[in-house]
Amino acid sequence: MNVHAREEFETYVADMSATPLKLEVRDLEFFYGKTRALHGISLPIATNKVTALIGPSGCGKSTLLRAMNRIYDLYPGQRASGRILLDGEDLLQERDLTSLRARIGMVFQKPTPFPMSIYDNVAFGLQMHERLSRKQERERVEEALRRSALWDEVKDKLNDSGLGLSGGQQQRLCLARSIAVRPEVLLLDEPASALDPISTAKLEETISELKGDYTIVIVTHNLQQAARVADYTGFMYLGRLIEFDETSCIFTKPHCARTSDYVTGRFG
Amino acid sequence: MATAKARRRKAANAAFVVFCGAATAIALTFLGAILYTLLKQGLGGINLAIFTQSTPAPGSPGGLANAIVGSLMLCAAAMVVAIVVGVLAGTWLAEYGGSSWYARTVRFVNDVLLSAPSILVGLFVYEIMVKRGIHGFSGWAGAMALALLAAPTVTRITEDVLKLQPPALREAGIALGAPVWTTIRRILWRAAGAGIVTGGVLAFARISGETAPLLFTALNNQFFSLDMGKPMANLPVVIFNFALSAYDDWRRLAWVGAVLIAAAVLACQIVVRLLLREPRRS
Repeated sequence: MNVHAREEFETYVADMSATPLKLEVRDLEFFYGKTRALHGISLPIATNKVTALIGPSGCGKSTLLRAMNRIYDLYPGQRASGRILLDGEDLLQERDLTSLRARIGMVFQKPTPFPMSIYDNVAFGLQMHERLSRKQERERVEEALRRSALWDEVKDKLNDSGLGLSGGQQQRLCLARSIAVRPEVLLLDEPASALDPISTAKLEETISELKGDYTIVIVTHNLQQAARVADYTGFMYLGRLIEFDETSCIFTKPHCARTSDYVTGRFG
Repeated sequence: MATAKARRRKAANAAFVVFCGAATAIALTFLGAILYTLLKQGLGGINLAIFTQSTPAPGSPGGLANAIVGSLMLCAAAMVVAIVVGVLAGTWLAEYGGSSWYARTVRFVNDVLLSAPSILVGLFVYEIMVKRGIHGFSGWAGAMALALLAAPTVTRITEDVLKLQPPALREAGIALGAPVWTTIRRILWRAAGAGIVTGGVLAFARISGETAPLLFTALNNQFFSLDMGKPMANLPVVIFNFALSAYDDWRRLAWVGAVLIAAAVLACQIVVRLLLREPRRS
């Protein structure tokens, strides 16, 4: 790590001043105990667009994502410095994490259905944040399941355990669970890496349908996936953001040699 | 040369398998002998009177009703305390304590308690509850002694099964904006439910046969009593007293009592097997 730290990194971040930004990461440093995992990351996240983070394993993509909803707060010894602005306000200073996480949802790499019925899985987050009548709750659950393209498959077994669904369905259930809360931002941490190609295609379709209403940040190992779903792409390497640009530019005419090497498969 | 080596390896393997098989056979022989004696001596004595009549004076007919009911009440009261304390302590250790100094101390003390001689626990309760006359010899004192024996098991198993839950499950609850405590209650406890219940059943199986901690706490009671504030009849102490007596009919009752406890423990083990067979129902 230290060897590379002295290396000069050629970087390029596209000018986004004309685009409305939902999130703005500024000079973010992240530490696991004494180990520095992120080095001065500055990254714009456009409102209601899909932003993909790509890069080799251990480059800090997930760490960056986990800073955005402060999930790292669960673990003593993990800390961030710098700023992450959500609608202009620094969320690293936020004290009300419950409300913050209602605004910023997250879906994890492995499907994590709760050990309860499909309905209760989706209603769980709702019950945390809103007082709804039974009827309203049912409507919100249905809406969330429809938006995550799961409704037709589960509408007749809402009271069955969520654990009985297939992996792809479980992942869409987790997506529905996050959507039900009506967050502004969705963080997806390699959401398709545990899924088969058909489930992956379905999930990507769902993501494409969701953008426009949600600001989505997706971490992925799969370059084609980034190319397919993302409007903007950031390439990370060794805890640094090397290049950020529109997805088409990253994949066709990257500014940095290292980005070019990575997207053409020469390393990583 | 290679074949000589292979032959030696095969011989070593065979010897080891024979050795293991023999050790297993020895253990099973003794277990079989115990069960055979138990059933031979005790099974014949089981009849309706055992469950309807109380322990008799020597020479007169009677049953074990007071001891059976007493044992159930003692164990039930003990398990309520043990589960409340054990589940909360185990949850604290798994979710909040981490590797802090206090958590490590609690964990160590709990492990010591797990293997503490039960007679010491009985003496401890005798000293603080019976001798100072808080209740005297009573069902409450007996239940407390049994609770002290059961709680460490529940604590340990609760901590272990909670730690087995994937961290992503906890994070998923938190990421939806649920407070940590809600996530534990509504998601983790449910996910770990079968394991925690298993811990409770195992602890129950352990205390159901304990004699030593009851000898000078619950004592015994010749008569049928539901009053936890008074000395209370219970199977282990009845077995202990009757088995050492000079009366044939008392000794027969002791065997019956032993069969009943063995059957209860067996039933617990079967329940555990059933619970663990489908850890995740679909």
